Amino acid sequence: MEAFLGGLAILLDPYVMLMVLLGTVLGIFVGALPGISGSTTIALLLPMTISMGPVPAICFLGAIYCAANFGGSITAIMVNAPGDPSASATALEGFKMAEKGQAGLALGMSAISSAIGGIVSIVVLIFAAPLLARAAYSFGPPEYFALALFGLSMCAAIGGDSALKNLMAAALGLLIATVGMDLTTGVERYAFGVMELSDGIGFVPVLIGLFAVGEMLDQATRRFGKPAIIALDAARVPGMAEMRKCWRSIWIGSGIGTFIGALPALGATTAALIGYNETKRWSKHQHEFGHGSIEGVAGPEAANNAAVGGSMVPTLALGIPGSATTAIILAGLIVQGVRPGPHLFTEQPTLLYAVFASMLAANIFYLVMGLTMAKFFARISLIPPAFLWPSVFALSLIGAYGPNQSMGDVWVMLAAGVVGLLFRRAGFSPAPLIMGLVLGGMVEETLKQSLLIFGDDLTGFLHRPIAMTLIVVTLAGLSWPLVARLLRGVRGARA
Amino acid sequence: MAGAAAALAAPTSLRAQERFPSRTIEVVTHAGVGGGTDITARMMMVQAPGEFGQEFTVVNRTAGSGAQALQYLASKPADGHTIILVTQTHLLTQIRNPSLPQFGDLIPLARATADPQLVLVRRDSPFRTPADLIAAGKARSLRFGGTHVGGVDHVTIHTFGRAAGLQRPTLVPFRGGGEIVINLVGGNIDTAVVNPGEAEAQLRAGELRPLMSLADSRIAAFGELPTAKELGIDATGYTLRGFCVLKGTPEDRVTRLEQGLIRAMSGPIYTTYLQNTGQAPDSVTGREAWGAQLAAFNNDGREALTALGLLRG
Repeated sequence: MEAFLGGLAILLDPYVMLMVLLGTVLGIFVGALPGISGSTTIALLLPMTISMGPVPAICFLGAIYCAANFGGSITAIMVNAPGDPSASATALEGFKMAEKGQAGLALGMSAISSAIGGIVSIVVLIFAAPLLARAAYSFGPPEYFALALFGLSMCAAIGGDSALKNLMAAALGLLIATVGMDLTTGVERYAFGVMELSDGIGFVPVLIGLFAVGEMLDQATRRFGKPAIIALDAARVPGMAEMRKCWRSIWIGSGIGTFIGALPALGATTAALIGYNETKRWSKHQHEFGHGSIEGVAGPEAANNAAVGGSMVPTLALGIPGSATTAIILAGLIVQGVRPGPHLFTEQPTLLYAVFASMLAANIFYLVMGLTMAKFFARISLIPPAFLWPSVFALSLIGAYGPNQSMGDVWVMLAAGVVGLLFRRAGFSPAPLIMGLVLGGMVEETLKQSLLIFGDDLTGFLHRPIAMTLIVVTLAGLSWPLVARLLRGVRGARA
Repeated sequence: MAGAAAALAAPTSLRAQERFPSRTIEVVTHAGVGGGTDITARMMMVQAPGEFGQEFTVVNRTAGSGAQALQYLASKPADGHTIILVTQTHLLTQIRNPSLPQFGDLIPLARATADPQLVLVRRDSPFRTPADLIAAGKARSLRFGGTHVGGVDHVTIHTFGRAAGLQRPTLVPFRGGGEIVINLVGGNIDTAVVNPGEAEAQLRAGELRPLMSLADSRIAAFGELPTAKELGIDATGYTLRGFCVLKGTPEDRVTRLEQGLIRAMSGPIYTTYLQNTGQAPDSVTGREAWGAQLAAFNNDGREALTALGLLRG
């Protein structure tokens, strides 16, 4: 506790405070731009932070990481272009809200739920990191397989109202996930000798294409499309009524996000998608989902920001970064002399609590900034489509090209844009496709790894209690509607 | 007449020599921004501009496990203004794809990192000594953790298994060192070859035990640990990164690049980076040692990929 107070005291240093503030502003900005993520920014700034001294540098990097994850939701809500892959679940409901003239509500709720999710996960990190980190060792391929299966089992229920169309979209996502070199055979699949395809189809270009470019094509092809008759309360931010409605979603999202983030192999994107699933499953207003549900913004946003704190658990306590993003954060910390591992909590408490304190401060900063700026950002929806969408398209092109400096990614994005247009016209939702794309590769890969570990013996799963529990829960969830109908039938017959 | 021409030509070539590098030097890497290899390039670049009097910029060409980066290099003139950050992955990609610039088309300049690998087991593993591991590996196929099938780890594990006379090991592929370490501690695999830096926390906590190193000689930080060679197993395992240029680059420029890069990587920023990431401080070396090491892995790689049936034709 003393060390933690010491960590908070670090923030009293005006230079450190300035760095956190700078990191937060920069993080929101790069997070909001599609294609430039917090991790890219950190990688590019890493050599520059070396001369800053450990504490300010760590605070700067931590603030960028936290704020960038929130920033992604701004463009997701306003122009349907998730600035960060983890904001894709937010775009599903958030953009629909903006279209209904509730941009301010969506942005404000995103800021509030993000900050709560972020703070919850950091508190958990402070008190339970070494404990939670042990859980990582219990999660091997069989457990991840069961978890991915659990996530995929919801794909008929999320997105559009037609279960059949949702399953079709999910199947397309699964198919896209198979492209590229297979880890367990070293063989390229569906790459057709095209080098850009040999590493698989990138998630970011598909996302930008499906959401932003698809939306632009859709708007462009409606000649008398609805002009911006945005209601006057576009700038209204959430009040107590919305908070009461979303409490449950925020807690569900925070819990799921912290846990999934703490698993090294999973990150904020998966956390947000599963957070979205579960928010819907436990919501009292399920019919609103797919049509601009504020709970559908709160749940995934809480989840993806909670995953940020969660992902620091294995990174700091085990020295094992779960994702490319945390790998870069870890590199940044290591270069500053932080030596991760269980002993970090006793050996270098000052640096450790500097990480925590800066992340807490960044969450509070972006909450304030997010709420204040929501009113201004919300006015983006008042820009006439003829001006707005071409700019979004230009941003999308840069966003797809940027991360890998690859024209291949731009073509993938444009193709995904056409798919996005067809999806909209035919009444499909992109949500199950993304689900299939994110979890599909993992289901296949972890199953093959499991079989290698079990020596091709499927009964090996029976000896893995965590995996079996998850599989049973999945089966129960899948069969529940059927069982419920049978029960109702029985009751009806009795009456 | 010929003498006059030569006399005229000489000063121009001399001037060209003085002017090199005359513009920004591009460093091509197959790693995405922020990957371990990308960070190595960026750390080297902090002090390189001071050495060369020109800016450095990283070009990330990520597709095809190095293939795109090699193609990019080949598309540029061999004038020393484009250098490539080569890893063993590039060599394997070249072996599998003869249409790319081959190993022989590259001139090694300087090595940036040479991180030896350790053979690790978990704390409560039945393998107490290297002999236990070898005996078990002769009786059944051991489950080794590594990166993808046909990748660098696979080659190292194959070469190690052959040199030790083991049954062909089962590779359980994972996405990177972190996952390998977790699954080793979690008991999902028997053993793995891992860089000390990747498992530092677990080694310090005693959750993982090293049985031997795959270095050429004993590692300072693990003074007690025998090398595989000492145990009579003729195999080494390193994570190598270093710089090369295209064949045809003038010799004086190669020398200039080699010396400048070595000086840039001997500066405090790069040395601190090596130290803090737990990489060997003697990583940086010139073209001779670096080239020999690449050539050795090139042979091992071809042999392993052929034996594993991963080469077409």
